[in-house]
Amino acid sequence: MTPLLWRALLRHPLRHPWQLGLAVLGIALGVAVVIAVDLANTSARRGFTLAMERISGQATHRIVGGSLGVPETLYAQLRVAGGWTLAPVLSGYLPRADQPGALLQILGVDPFAEAPFRALSALDNDKASGAFDLRALLLEPDAALLPETLGETVTLRRGGQSFTLRRAGILHGAELDGLIITDLASAQVLLGQPGRLSHIDLILPEGTAGEQRAAELRALLPAELRLEQPAMRNQATANLSAAFSLNLTAMSLLALVVGMFLIYNAISFAVVQRRGLLGLLRALGVSRRELFIGILGEALLLGIAGTVLGTLLGLWLGLGLVQLVTQTINDLYYVLSVREFFIDPLSLGKGAALGLLATLAAAWLPAREAADALPGAALSRTHLESRWRTLLPRLLVAAVMLLALGGLVLYLSSSLLAGFAGLFLLILGSALLAPPLVIALTTLNQPLVARLGLLARMANRDAARHLSRTGVAVAALMVAFATTVGVGVMVDSFRGGVAIWVNDLLNADLYLAPPGIEDGSANKAHLDPAVLAILRSTPGVAAVSSYHAVPLDLDGRPVTLVAAELAPAAQAGYHLIAGDPAQAWAAFQSGAAVLISEPLAYRRQLRVGDHLQLTTATGLRSFPIAGIFLDYGSEHGRILLHHAAYARAWQDASIGSAAVFAAPGVEPRVLRQRLLERLGTVQALVIRSNRDIQAFTLDIFDRTFTITQVLRLLAILVAVVGVLSALLALQLERAREFAVLRATGMSAAEIGGLVSLQTGFIGAIAGLLALPVGLLLAAVLIFSINRRAFGWSLPFEVDPLLLLETLVLAILAALLAGLYPIWRMTRTRPAEALRAE
Amino acid sequence: MKNYRLLSLILIALGMALMTAAYLRKPAGSTPNTGLSVASALGNADSAGYSRAHTPRPFHFPADHGPHPDFRNEWWYVTGNLSDERGRAFGYQLTLFRIALSPTPAAPDSAWRTRQVYMGHFALTDVAGQRHEGFERFSRDALGLAGAQAEPFRVWLEDWELASVSVDFLPLRLRARQGDLALDLRLDAGKPMVLQGDQGLSQKSAEPGNASYYYSYTRMPTAGTVQIGAQSFTVSGSSWLDREWSTSALGPNQSGWDWFALQLDDGRELMFYRLRRQDGGSDPFSSGVLVAADGQTRHLPGDTVSLQALETWTSPHTGDTYPAGWRLRVPAEALDLTVTPKVAGQEMRLTVRYWEGAVSVQGHAGATPVSGQGYLEMTRYAEPR
Repeated sequence: MTPLLWRALLRHPLRHPWQLGLAVLGIALGVAVVIAVDLANTSARRGFTLAMERISGQATHRIVGGSLGVPETLYAQLRVAGGWTLAPVLSGYLPRADQPGALLQILGVDPFAEAPFRALSALDNDKASGAFDLRALLLEPDAALLPETLGETVTLRRGGQSFTLRRAGILHGAELDGLIITDLASAQVLLGQPGRLSHIDLILPEGTAGEQRAAELRALLPAELRLEQPAMRNQATANLSAAFSLNLTAMSLLALVVGMFLIYNAISFAVVQRRGLLGLLRALGVSRRELFIGILGEALLLGIAGTVLGTLLGLWLGLGLVQLVTQTINDLYYVLSVREFFIDPLSLGKGAALGLLATLAAAWLPAREAADALPGAALSRTHLESRWRTLLPRLLVAAVMLLALGGLVLYLSSSLLAGFAGLFLLILGSALLAPPLVIALTTLNQPLVARLGLLARMANRDAARHLSRTGVAVAALMVAFATTVGVGVMVDSFRGGVAIWVNDLLNADLYLAPPGIEDGSANKAHLDPAVLAILRSTPGVAAVSSYHAVPLDLDGRPVTLVAAELAPAAQAGYHLIAGDPAQAWAAFQSGAAVLISEPLAYRRQLRVGDHLQLTTATGLRSFPIAGIFLDYGSEHGRILLHHAAYARAWQDASIGSAAVFAAPGVEPRVLRQRLLERLGTVQALVIRSNRDIQAFTLDIFDRTFTITQVLRLLAILVAVVGVLSALLALQLERAREFAVLRATGMSAAEIGGLVSLQTGFIGAIAGLLALPVGLLLAAVLIFSINRRAFGWSLPFEVDPLLLLETLVLAILAALLAGLYPIWRMTRTRPAEALRAE
Repeated sequence: MKNYRLLSLILIALGMALMTAAYLRKPAGSTPNTGLSVASALGNADSAGYSRAHTPRPFHFPADHGPHPDFRNEWWYVTGNLSDERGRAFGYQLTLFRIALSPTPAAPDSAWRTRQVYMGHFALTDVAGQRHEGFERFSRDALGLAGAQAEPFRVWLEDWELASVSVDFLPLRLRARQGDLALDLRLDAGKPMVLQGDQGLSQKSAEPGNASYYYSYTRMPTAGTVQIGAQSFTVSGSSWLDREWSTSALGPNQSGWDWFALQLDDGRELMFYRLRRQDGGSDPFSSGVLVAADGQTRHLPGDTVSLQALETWTSPHTGDTYPAGWRLRVPAEALDLTVTPKVAGQEMRLTVRYWEGAVSVQGHAGATPVSGQGYLEMTRYAEPR
């Protein structure tokens, strides 16, 4: 490659900055979305790991308990017996009073037991007087070690109470952000758990000696306590959100695929436009190889520019996405109190490599095309188009094969990864289907446009005639819009399903709970035992249900046990998808059997009639499964057990919340007032109507799917950029053609109309094709991906408005793309444009 | 009287803070904290509000064997020399310190909340193996983790414990275990209790109230087992118990101390501490006692004892240099003793660094050769950093 050749090749893009810019923007957007999603995922995962590490420290094992944690007396017994390296821990989360959404992690420790376990930096060496005050920490209930970002004091809320903590030492380092360390005594007060520990950390030796010690310890533990290894537990918890991360990654890759189309479009257009130059270069003795490398090199330069820009954009975008990802994980999986934006070089590297590879892959065909140009002869446009025409049958075959393969993969394997592979195959197949469909549509259109006049006929025929342009543009647009349709329909369906579910499930009139249920801090708060009796004796109350949610561990994975006493109306709110309802509810009422939620059944391959082994306070108990109910409330799964059976097995009669059905004719608002008055002296409770809670649930749902909506918007953005660049290129190329038309008497307005018709037509084709493909994607997302990732079965609901919106957007974007060529055309005199001819 | 262990109270506080400083240490790369600022936060705990020792008081037993929570500091300090039937010699130390963090009761909001904290030091010297190991623990007086009681007498810090075998104070059972080392000893009544200083009031400096209540059991026949790894030794020997409580601090010019607790084989015991002044001289409050075979005591004012360091030993771990042998003379008693560490390296490298270990004694009482053994404590020999 000579510098001269480089200059010859590079002159073109430099003189066409619009094309250059759009191609770079295409790849930049693709790379940015990939990087942003990867950074957000990595940051969330790292935040989780850090939070777990700072809790686990050097512990190799921990003693964990059931619903009530670990009694502190067990720790004292083990400690005084001697011979164990152990430390007590009480941890939990409380919201800040001034920012209720921001949860802070409280870590209550015994400073004297900590040395072997955790290395937390608290000493502020810069201020000699500000040293960490152990005396205060031990003695004063409001003394705490606070991260430097929190300042001198912080006020936390639990239920109706607020606690102001004072800084007795500074926790340095970003990894300790969101963490508050207090003495165990203070933590018990803060979290409202007197006498309790969350767990006891242990360091046991490695190897067989450690196993022997572990066995010794297990023999000492009461039935409801277990010895577990935090590393394994953390892994299990981290895996919970893996499906969510994979979903995001797959969606971000989709953006890159659209970006690839854009690159292909830009490069192949640049090749076609320079066919004269390329033929000339071949005639001057430039070899095929040199030309091929030249074009690829040019593409690589574009790719580098796009990747650099995309990386910067991705960093900026990632900063916003990490908040959304964290929010979703907080809502769906576990509390992430570390909200650090961690810039993982690996994420950047992956994104950059993908960007460059995508560019090279997309430029490969155009570069070969250029190298194949006959020396001396212009690489004719007609030659290119006719080649495309001959390619059509092959495209069709390939498309059908890809679609079939995608379907087969989806059908044969039930793994999530295979689900995504199938999804991508379907998308690729649909994309290949685009050029043949353009031809088919234009052919079908001919009788129709014939009646609309010359311009319409020209517009229609042009779309087919310029298939090398329009085919790729339509494919790119279709993929982009299909993605937005697919994701949109999926989210709508999901929301619809959740709305119906929550509406049926929460069919009581009023719900009572201790204050603080909104922020999850009320998990440990219970209803006063007298409350239920008062509810039942209040006039106007037809029936009462009670609930008590207990976090349980099923084979090392978290599930929620709901100990409930359900009124018949409340039972009717559950949709049983397996098991005979009459028998199932009878078995539930007797306390002999449990009902489980669909995600639990799906994940553990459980059926009606199987048995669940649960560790209770009275030992290991086996419960038959009497039914499986529809549930979107917990991805981990829920177990429904009668409260009386729970109280017996776990020796815990506490009740977390209650639901009240009003008698016919009794106004819930009146009943609420009556209940407030009667309960006022017993316990301060929050009483909400079912509608409030339903709205609250859907709020959380919407918050959870914000990130999906953001990605959908990004896909739309990429699609619009795609329309712009493809059609802009097409129309700009036709400047001379328009000049001829004008010279032959066509007015500028008529040509403007022609251009608009044409771009609008292409937009419409892309939009129309996107609808069935989008619905197919939605079906795959709903029936395959979501089921595999979360174990949820969702209804399939299509909002016609969404489809219309997509179509309109596609046409509008296309029309927008026509504006600049029209503007330019009207500004140039035809003679000028024709001069080169 | 080991009065100047009082000084160690400051160090205890400092040590606790240091321990915590080590636990909550700065990330790697930052300069290690010297603990000075921490000491000012915790060590200089105000003495206001605590009881102080102004005048001699009548002692009431068994109550006084138990804790005195209104005083800031208190300890049960046991040392001893032991040997097995084949003459293999061991030395041991078990000290349980009580430290009050506040003169007023703590909030009753949690079972963990308390104003009393215990610190323990445990050391074992294997003379034949030339091995010395020292350990340290802290725990709070809550949930039975640590504490002290008079009846039946018991003081403990987790599984380090000193307790009466029956309803009587003596005999005592001492148990301590750490890693592969363990002690299980029975300490019997030997010679009668000695009230130190002025009827048990031990003045530390010229400041009124800067004194402690202090009594000792200077010779307690001891038997039991020492366990080192898989080896178990049946041992016997003699122990020394010091009890002291106070709310006092170092005088302004006092810099460190050398303390001797010697059991002579003529049936006598000699306790002497020399308080070193910052200018290198001996503080006039240095003091000692000579206990006759029949239990009669004779007070030894600081100027009646002459001390001379014979050689030095430099710790390979810390670089600190300690005297490694002493000549101790009491001219009035015609005592001339040479005190030699049984193992040179008996440095306690804990949050407080000091040298405390088993020693042997050779010398003359008048014309009669006399020998013996005992314990020696030397503090504050660290190079100023």
